[in-house]
This record gives sequence, structure tokens and C-alpha cells, in this order.
Amino acid sequence: MPQSAAARSERRAERSLGALSSLVLVLITAMCLFVLLKAWPSFSHNGPMWFGWGGNVDDQLAAIFNSPANPAKWDYTIRTWPILYATALLTIVSVGIGIVISTLAAVFIVEFAPPSVKRIVSPVVRLLAAVPSVIYGLIGILVLVPFVGNHLISEGRKGSVTFVVQLSGASLGVAVVILTLMITPIMIAIIADALRAVPNGWKEGALALGANRWRVMWTVVVRTARPAIVAAAVIAAARAIGEGIMLAMVSGSVGFAPNPLDGITFVFEPLRPYAATIVDNAEGLSVKPFGQTIYAMAAILLFASLMLSLGGTLAKRPLRKYGVRL
Amino acid sequence: MNSPTPLPPIKRIDPSRAPKVVDPRHDSLGAADAIAAAVAPGSSERVERMRIDDLSIAYGTKPAVRNVTLPVREGEVLALIGPSGCGKTTLLRSLNRLTELTDTAVATGSITLDGQNIHALEATDLRRRVSMVFQQPNPFPMSIFENVAYAIREQAARRPSKSTLAPLVREALEDAGLWDEVGDNLDHPALRLSGGQQQRLCIARALASKPDVLLMDEPCSALDPKSTEIIEELITRLREKVAIVIVTHNLQQAHRVGDNVAFMYLGELVEYGTVDQVFNAPRAERTQDYVGGVFG
Repeated sequence: MPQSAAARSERRAERSLGALSSLVLVLITAMCLFVLLKAWPSFSHNGPMWFGWGGNVDDQLAAIFNSPANPAKWDYTIRTWPILYATALLTIVSVGIGIVISTLAAVFIVEFAPPSVKRIVSPVVRLLAAVPSVIYGLIGILVLVPFVGNHLISEGRKGSVTFVVQLSGASLGVAVVILTLMITPIMIAIIADALRAVPNGWKEGALALGANRWRVMWTVVVRTARPAIVAAAVIAAARAIGEGIMLAMVSGSVGFAPNPLDGITFVFEPLRPYAATIVDNAEGLSVKPFGQTIYAMAAILLFASLMLSLGGTLAKRPLRKYGVRL
Repeated sequence: MNSPTPLPPIKRIDPSRAPKVVDPRHDSLGAADAIAAAVAPGSSERVERMRIDDLSIAYGTKPAVRNVTLPVREGEVLALIGPSGCGKTTLLRSLNRLTELTDTAVATGSITLDGQNIHALEATDLRRRVSMVFQQPNPFPMSIFENVAYAIREQAARRPSKSTLAPLVREALEDAGLWDEVGDNLDHPALRLSGGQQQRLCIARALASKPDVLLMDEPCSALDPKSTEIIEELITRLREKVAIVIVTHNLQQAHRVGDNVAFMYLGELVEYGTVDQVFNAPRAERTQDYVGGVFG
């Protein structure tokens, strides 16, 4: 039987779309393999101590950059603990603060805000979520960093640690504030969508049992939307981990591990996560062992974001059995 | 529909006949006075729990309920019947002030609970005493136990312990006729139950706060005939404990479970009386048109 023109064009569309999506998959896999391959020498020379501590990581990076020309004598020694610690610290603290703020904000927007406020706030939140991170970085470095450096850190405090680290204002505190500011809008948008998706029947049912609006929100609506809150946290964490340029601007870019035992000074100590390290050292990639070390950091970021997106998918699953789709 | 014996189809009011229909207050059958007498206080020896007095509700400029007066008495099931959009659900939701959730709703007239205006009560207190079951079963995404305990927890001043809750939960589930089926699996998710069980769970949840009045908004319309039968038996049993107001568009159901029937049309109360009287000897012409096809 001859095929109709419609069936043929459908088949053609199916094939070309299938080819396109396979191409994307192939490209992503190739990219991962490429990064891993490039990164391998750095990992294999250091072993698990790649993540360990010992020495000054910035000095180690400099030594790798100044490796002799003879490949047999290339230096690979690096202990990235301060950078790993900075990445984890910044991400966990920002996402932790962000979760509380964004849940409260989303509850307010969805349930308690007057309609006029709702109409303005919802699009503004989405707009904020789309602001390029470099703009946050610019505001941080032009406004917040000088303010903190000039007004919040006393000369005495600067003097007390002067032989260990310079306190310029670019610090853990500023980085956390700006990073939280950057990731909160997307979290608010996701959580607000989830709160809106909670069936009205549950809210009405709880109200009809004599619970007040605030209690209904916490006991039924937010409770139901918990997986979405986790998903929002995962997406925010992925953004925070991958944020390079903004953090390179405001974090102080020193391979230093801020010590919570330092008290208030802890907040003013500089640090530098993986992504910012990559941004800062991009010009040195032509030195082969240095480039491979930077690729190793990229591999860690790739792995982390892969794990996070997997986690986010799993976190959303429990909602589906209640028929709620996000 | 839900009855095993075949019945003639329900005859709805034909819009083309609407102009002929007269206002009940100027009705040739003289129904207005008789109905006014039937809804007046003291027309029954039973204790009156709620009284709806000259209640009108409008959504914006669109009236939904017009000048309705109705008593809700203890030990009785009041069935509200009428075609879609006649205001019966709005009337029901106004009894526990759920209409307030709609911003545009404006109400005049008064509703009292044991002589006290319901707007003088806290909405949360009112809703504990006037509980509600919805058209769609809406158990929360929690365990069976947590669902029933929800109302008790929400009204307790201090957080009650599980051992205080357990007998209350059991009692509510027994009242709703669900204990035998779920008593061993109280920690199972409520949403795994069948539709009929979910609706009985919602009834148990509403009973857990020991309400004075139970409102039911077409509680069987999303259920199969077997579940409907179980819930109707349940309603008949529960009326000894609590005053029940049930909205239904199923006339046979109103006939089976109702003690008194109120027929609403276009927001007005057209007919009120005992089941026998409304179905067998309707006073208003519109009631005759509406129920005429069912048992005639």
C-alpha cells in the first residue's frame, strides 16, 4: 500500500527530531568524557588527597603553573580542601537561608498577599530570577564589598589576622548575602508554583475543619509541597555551585578556608569556590598541567550538578502519587 | 440512577415553561403562607440548632440566594434540592462561612447557631461546630490516623498525645462505619483508600471534632451506587447524633435520606416541608414540575 504524504512527512519529522535529540545527548556525553579525560592526570597524581588538605592551595596552583617544560617533571601536587570547603560552605549556607526566606515569601505571595500585590510581585520575582549573575557581582563589588571593608571590619580586626589573611571586605559574608539574593527568586518561583498546585479541596477541607489560614498553610499546603521545596533547593544549589563570575568578584578569591572558631572574623574571611577558581585561572590553561588541574575542578562541578539534577528528579516524585504535577 | 429498581427519568424544569411559573409568594395554590408557617420558629417540637433568616447572598451583582428562611433542627436531615445553579451549595457554604473565601460574595440577613449570630463567633470555632463534607472526597495526603486526628489537633489548646487521640479517632471512624475496614491499617496513606472509603474518612474527620451540625455537599455524586448506599445508611444513622444538612441533586436520594426537604429555584426557597409532603403533595407549582416526574 502506498504511503500517504501526511504519513511520510510525519515519519520525516519524527526522524529529524529524534536525530536532533540524540545529537544533544551525544554532545553532552562527549563533553563529560572530554573533561574527565583532560582531568585524569591531576586526579591520578594526587589520588584521594586531591580533596585533602595541606599547604597553601594558591601556592600549589602557582607551582603547577610554573612547572618545568619537561613533561616528566610536571608538577601536579594540589590539595583542594580549602576550595572544596568554600564551595560546600557557600552553597549550604546560602541554600539554607534561601529555603527559609523563599518558603515564607512564597506562602505570603500565594496565600496572604492582597491581589494587587500578588499581581506585581509574581512577575517581579520571575524577572529577578532571570537577572544575569554578573550584575549581582557588580553590585556586590561596587557597593557591598567597600561598605563591609570600610565600615564593618575594624582596623583592629584587620590587624589581628594580618599575617594570615587580608580582610578587604570581599568575604564569606558578602558572598553568602549576594549568593542568597541571587538564588532566592528562582526558589520563590518554584515553591509558589507548587503551593498553587496543591488542590483547593485540601485547603477548603482543612478550613472547614476549623483550622485557621496560617495553620492550613503549614499543616496541609506546605507539607504537601515539601518535595517541591526540596526540588527548589536542589536547583538553587546547582546554581550556587556553578556560580563563578559573581563569586570571583565578591568572595575575595583567596584559597583560604574560613575558620568558624575565629568568631565574627569568620564572616569577614575571604575564600574561593571551584567555579570562581576556574574563572580566575582561565588565562593559564595553555600550561598543560595547570590546564589539567583546572579541568579536574570542572569535572567535580560536572559530577556535583549531575548528582543534584538526579536528586531533584527523585525529590519531585512523591508528589506525583497524589496527582500533583509540577 | 442509584436505586436498583428502575425509575422514570427525572423531569427537569424546561426553560421554555419558566414564564408561566409564578412567584411562590403570589402563588395560586396559596403555598407561600403554608411554607412561611413551616419555616417559622416553633413549627416543630424538635430543638432548633441553626436558623437561616431572610438570607441573601450575591457574588458581585449576581444574586445566588434570595431571602431564604430555613430552620436546621437536631435529629433531622434537611435535604436541599433544586436544579444546578439554584444556590443550594452557596446556602450550605454560608452556614460555616466558607462563602467568605470568595472575595466578591456579599451576604445580608442572618444565620444563628443556638441563638447566636455566626458572625459573632470566630470562624474557626464556628467551623468546628458546623463541620463539612465536600462533593469530591478530599482526604489530606497523610495517614488515615492523621486525617481523623487533624481536626482534634487543630482545636486543642495543647498538642494532644497519641494516646489521647487514639480513642477519639477510633470513635470517629466507628461513627463513620469505617473502623472495621481500616482499624488495622491506621498508618496507611488515606489516598490509597477507595473513593467511597475516602468519603467516609472525610465524614469521620468531620465527626471527630464532635460538631453540632454536619453539612454535606452532594457527598455521593462522585461515588458508585454501592458506596452511595453505604453513605446513605450512615446518614440515616448519624442523624440521631448530629443535625445534618445535605445538598443533593438526586431526588431519590433526598427522598431516601431526608426528613425535611427544601426545594430551591433561582436562589429562592420555593418549597419546604417533610419528605412525604414535598414529594407527594407539593404545595408550589414549581415543586410539582420539578419532582413531578419522579414518583408520579
